[in-house]
Amino acid sequence: MAKQKAIGSWAWVVGGAGLLIGAVAAWLVSQGNPGNMGLCIACFWRDTMGFFGGATFNMGGVAYIRPEIVGLILGATVAAVAGREFRPRGGSSTALRFVLGFIFMVAALIFLGCTVRAWLRLGGGDLNALWGVAGIVAGVGIGSVLLKGGFNLGRAKRLPAPVGIIGPIIAGVLLVLAILAVVGLKPAFFTETPKGAKSTAEKAVISADGEVLKPEGAKMVDGAIVSSDGAVISSKESVAAAKPMPGASRAPFVISILAGLGLGVVAQRSRFCSIGGIRDVILVQRYELLFGVIGLVIGVLVVNMLLGQFKLGFEGQPGAHTDALGNLASMTVAGLAAVLLGGCPFRQVIMTGEGDADALSAVAGMGAGALFAHGLGTVSTAAGLAPAAWAVLAVMAVVLVGIAAWKRESLVAAVSGSGGQ
Amino acid sequence: MTQVDVRGLSCPLPVMQTKKALDASAGGELVVLADSGTAKANIVHLLEDRGFAVNIEESDEEYRIVATKN
Repeated sequence: MAKQKAIGSWAWVVGGAGLLIGAVAAWLVSQGNPGNMGLCIACFWRDTMGFFGGATFNMGGVAYIRPEIVGLILGATVAAVAGREFRPRGGSSTALRFVLGFIFMVAALIFLGCTVRAWLRLGGGDLNALWGVAGIVAGVGIGSVLLKGGFNLGRAKRLPAPVGIIGPIIAGVLLVLAILAVVGLKPAFFTETPKGAKSTAEKAVISADGEVLKPEGAKMVDGAIVSSDGAVISSKESVAAAKPMPGASRAPFVISILAGLGLGVVAQRSRFCSIGGIRDVILVQRYELLFGVIGLVIGVLVVNMLLGQFKLGFEGQPGAHTDALGNLASMTVAGLAAVLLGGCPFRQVIMTGEGDADALSAVAGMGAGALFAHGLGTVSTAAGLAPAAWAVLAVMAVVLVGIAAWKRESLVAAVSGSGGQ
Repeated sequence: MTQVDVRGLSCPLPVMQTKKALDASAGGELVVLADSGTAKANIVHLLEDRGFAVNIEESDEEYRIVATKN
């Protein structure tokens, strides 16, 4: 029997990549990104959708093209082209991947974060994330059983070059729109949450310089928000306790885009995957990608501590709620969807940059999921789960099981010949 | 010779199928056809950790990974 090394040198490369991603994510928070959300694929892609969805989809507070996501895609494209790994491909259950991406996003927005942010939250001291992480492990465990049972979305095929560059082109268009917004030339039919804006518990919105933006006609009187007919909407105390809106908290554009580009290159080269890290241990006893997850947690933990951003506890954590069961169940669904996709949303974004049309379909599904979740109000708030959250999670779990049952095939088919010649 | 075709498969199927072939194989040469950089890298790491000498023939369409025991 051949000797088997448990940890090869590649593990340290992936570990280093995870460390860097975690460290940069924590640092981005100090530069203005939302708390424990230096880099969240679900949240940031949702914010990017908010730019288009706006008030129609109830996304006024989460509307901002996140340069980090644009950078990740384009950075991955550059790295893939340079490494001769840019290969236009697709056709592996492309439509089903849209559904899986959709489910992933809706579930992630119930937890409040993707499978990367779960670890980032943990590294910021948010103990609610322990339930999320437990959910990820559960979801990956279920997915591993399904993969062992022959789950397979089918083979992707080589596609003509124009198909491969759709993802990078979309990223390029987003980059142009983001730059237009930065220089103040944003077309009026798009929405952007004003930088530094805060909202009160009564959903009144105050700008960075203390002006009342919502509701219309309301004014600030002695520190309280008063409507045009004189009724108090938000008391002085409520105004003092107003919280920054997620889309309003952001690092400077140049920092965000450079961070995204850099991490896009690192992720493409290292093949960092937050789901693969758990999956490969359970399924194939490979530990390289796990080092990426461990690195991620160490990186975010250390930098959070250095910057004084670490706060241990369950209550009052940024962009989080304390519903343990909700956190567990939502991440179980999200983790399972990600395993069925073959990788976490971070990987889907990177593979989109590599010319993978199937990954692009998953990312598009995530975008549609964000519009759905905000439009129908299944997104959690700091107060907890939305009333419809459990019903939506149940339906999505059933759909995932249905997809898994449908897409089974024999593992033996691809092996030909026999040992020893 | 055993040949495994993992072209176009999503993670982690390329590694799973290569592992399965290794476990079933009585030895000798193993050839794996892959078409993504990620699958290629994962398979090469697996084979090297198992003590194989790995040679990669790269074309525009695919990677042909040939593994032989040292």
